[in-house]
Amino acid sequence: MINIVVAFPAEARPLAEYFRLRDKDTTGPFPVYRNAALCLTISGLGKVQSAAATAWLQGITRGQAPAGWLNIGIAGHAIHNIGDGFIAHRITDQASSRSWYPPQVHGLKLPTDNLLTVDLPETGYQNDALYDMEAAGFYPIACRSATAELVQCFKIVSDNRLQPVTGVDTGRYSDLVISRLGEIESLLDEIERMLQTPGVRYPGQEDLKLFTANWHFSQTQQHQLMRLLRRWKALAPDQSLRCRDLMKQNQAGDVLRWLENHLHALPVKLGQEPCPGISSR
Amino acid sequence: MFSHIYIEEEISTHPRARDICARFPRAQLVPCEHYGAVFNPRSQNFRLQKHRPALILAKKHSKLLLEAPRGYGIGGEKNYYFSHLLNCLYDCRYCFLQGMYRSAHYVLFVNYEDFCMEIDAIQQAHQDNPTWFFSGYDCDSMALEPVSGFAAHFLPYFSARPDVFLELRTKSTQIRALLNRDPLANTVVAFSFTPGETHRALEHKVPGIERRLAAMARLQQSGWKLGLRFDPLIYQQNFRQQYSGLFAQLFNRLDVEQLHSVSLGPFRLPRDYFRNILQLYPDEPLYAGPLAETNGTVSYRNDLEHEITGFCTQELLNYIPESRLFSCPATA
Repeated sequence: MINIVVAFPAEARPLAEYFRLRDKDTTGPFPVYRNAALCLTISGLGKVQSAAATAWLQGITRGQAPAGWLNIGIAGHAIHNIGDGFIAHRITDQASSRSWYPPQVHGLKLPTDNLLTVDLPETGYQNDALYDMEAAGFYPIACRSATAELVQCFKIVSDNRLQPVTGVDTGRYSDLVISRLGEIESLLDEIERMLQTPGVRYPGQEDLKLFTANWHFSQTQQHQLMRLLRRWKALAPDQSLRCRDLMKQNQAGDVLRWLENHLHALPVKLGQEPCPGISSR
Repeated sequence: MFSHIYIEEEISTHPRARDICARFPRAQLVPCEHYGAVFNPRSQNFRLQKHRPALILAKKHSKLLLEAPRGYGIGGEKNYYFSHLLNCLYDCRYCFLQGMYRSAHYVLFVNYEDFCMEIDAIQQAHQDNPTWFFSGYDCDSMALEPVSGFAAHFLPYFSARPDVFLELRTKSTQIRALLNRDPLANTVVAFSFTPGETHRALEHKVPGIERRLAAMARLQQSGWKLGLRFDPLIYQQNFRQQYSGLFAQLFNRLDVEQLHSVSLGPFRLPRDYFRNILQLYPDEPLYAGPLAETNGTVSYRNDLEHEITGFCTQELLNYIPESRLFSCPATA
């Protein structure tokens, strides 16, 4: 799952249409649109609203698998062309001077730039940075529930010195987002790819359900089980756990002992090559 | 090589920093106040970053040199280590750096002159004892040489101070900076090895054994003192055959008389590092093997550790005298 936070309905609309976010929920403090892979909310203008919406999304998706986070929106810049898209490699909150550095470890060739979050619309463009009003609220909150590589900000230039900001023009915002849907999709794909990396997604979670459905494990036993399942996945990645001998075990303690004994018998074969061990099924 | 270079504002005009940035004209330069703001935040994933690490150019302000843990050394009475670089170009799955740092970015401290001043100060304090300085604990000494110019700077410095000793520890074949100058009597270039099967499984991006051996042979022909390091020793079911083969391969090619030292050490990790690595690499068979925790250190079960250390020690003594063999303690 990747959570998307935008400021305006006009930014959300093309995203909801393109990614088919058809499940709509407007009963909470922030509207939410989702499908099986994406969840989008509209925060409203400003970093406080953005932080609140991010925290709200964290709350309603709590307990689910690890998620990525993407803040999409418009930004100003002194000289960049209107319509250009950038990933933020540094986010600075102008009010507090605090900076964050989203790691750029994805393989995309998209340009990156400094991003300065301001409290009021910027028309002077004095700094060599993109100007927005949300990222410094979004980023540190999103990083509380996800590793920083999975939290990114993508900004599309909406105004510059030649065409300064003159007020909220939502019709234009939709067009700007539409013009960058390809890059946004690539970034989402990269975040999704990183989410599938072992170490971000902990193996064994799926198998845990098999065990808890068949035996009752105490909390301590669940921790022991997770450790054993991890070792099983590492030492015998090709072997199914649904073998007849295991399924015959009566109690959780018997299952743990069974797993321990079989793990002990498995040879350590480095390099994750399939190794001979117990026969499955 | 680097898509992004973070650079501390304080050293943005340092000549070494400027030279390095100039080598990567397509890299995006990102100014930062202190490297820690990029390197130290909690919510980072070392494994994800290792795919595409960035370079951070910084200044080291304090603790430039640290005393080596008791028991470490290759014959010297006083032992210190220093790290001009944090993190390694290579990706060895057994490496403690994965558990020690939250970020896989490379932090290069460009103020080499301050390291040298500190070495001078320590040497002044220990004039009566031979003092060793070890580079390559928190990085590979030579792997990033074309970028860092580390050896090119430090070798002339050590050349002028024959009473202090330097170990460069590496798995790299980047030896041009060494071949381009006369060998130093007070410097040992130590190469680390694991057997071929382990190398292929765990030492990602590391040059092959033959290539490293060829680099060693060239250095030896040029008169450099060499060391061999077998640390950590990695267990596999056929470890005897693996290590016997490795030792034979190395000692058949190298002039044993010219070898300065050989050292070995068991696989061990501080408990907290081990837990961090386990989170990052839950799918790694190395960490699902016969490990046990003793006094905050995770290592092979006692019987296995004795077996592998004892075997390798005996095998090595077939090739070298005991006076040149050093063991690292089992505590992390």
